[in-house]
Amino acid sequence: MFHAFDTEPAGRPLDRAQWMATLARAPLELLEPALGTHAQGTPQWLRAPETGLVMVQGRAGGSGERFNLGEVTVTRCALRLGEVGSAVGVAYVMGRSHRHAQLAAVADALLQDPAQQPLLDTQLLAPVRRHLELQRAQRHASAQSSKVEFFTVAREAGDTEGEADAE
Amino acid sequence: MTALDLSTLGAGFSDEALGSQSVFRAALHALSHPGRAVTLPHDAQTPSRGHPASAALLLALLDPDCTLWLSPSLAGSDAAAWLRFHTGCVLVDTPVAAQFAWVAQGDECPRLGSFAQGSDAYPDQSTTCVVDVVALDEGGTDAWTLRGPGIRDSASIAVVGLPRTGATAFAAQWRANQEAFPRGIDVFLASPRQIVGLPRTTRIETHMAQEA
Repeated sequence: MFHAFDTEPAGRPLDRAQWMATLARAPLELLEPALGTHAQGTPQWLRAPETGLVMVQGRAGGSGERFNLGEVTVTRCALRLGEVGSAVGVAYVMGRSHRHAQLAAVADALLQDPAQQPLLDTQLLAPVRRHLELQRAQRHASAQSSKVEFFTVAREAGDTEGEADAE
Repeated sequence: MTALDLSTLGAGFSDEALGSQSVFRAALHALSHPGRAVTLPHDAQTPSRGHPASAALLLALLDPDCTLWLSPSLAGSDAAAWLRFHTGCVLVDTPVAAQFAWVAQGDECPRLGSFAQGSDAYPDQSTTCVVDVVALDEGGTDAWTLRGPGIRDSASIAVVGLPRTGATAFAAQWRANQEAFPRGIDVFLASPRQIVGLPRTTRIETHMAQEA
């Protein structure tokens, strides 16, 4: 299954997979202040943060045979903020930061509450999306600066005659 | 892939390593002293269906390489989701394909012969069954007398509310299971707080056996 999480269509209602992908790549400096007091409390752990390896698979050209690209370090956790029956926040983030996984899961739990969703969307998700956009633009620009244009001299159809004449 | 509904799910052991170690210790104790009721200490938030002791036992024993068969009322309950989430075990539809089985109180237990029996070369590949019963009392008038390895002379355990195991009585099927040694299944009987180990080497003598 292939999802382009970076190209978010405008006006579409938020879907959970999308915000989980955004939160997984959010920097801690943006997560900590946006969650405020929720970030400080001790959640009820369903699965305390744990770090492990996940095999990343790829397909050449996006449509070729599936192959194992390599393993990445992933930290995951699942938690609940309220009583049993309230929403469960889940996070899978790359790297070893338990704090990042915890905050992403807290945000996921809060975002499942329709009452909190619009506020969090503007306070947390929008800045993170801007940050990721900027990061991508910078990487694109730095890659572009090293771009090499190759020129080849294409012979025109009439040239073969000219060469023959010269001989 | 189906998404689990996590909203009603309870937590596992608060400390995964120490929690499962203490339960594992109790399970070892139960299997090395068949017929002795062993209390399972645990702090897991066990599912609503099935006994807490059996849930904690399976939580400690299962891992993603294990296959588990659940009796019908457990398979449709939060117990299935709980074990899937915390242990990553694989649920199977037939008892013969399962390395572990859990039979809830009130459900019918499949015939003991229908579980995986292992082979003479690999007797360890048989099913380990956890069977929920109403109560387990050491001693009592209606009790089974147990003999075999791990028991000095004889042990006595009264099992209240054992699930029906097909047409024939549990004790008769157990005799067949015991005679198939080294093949055969191992059973844990579980009350809400305690477990009793019945390894395949243990012989059961019932006081009803002569009459039946």
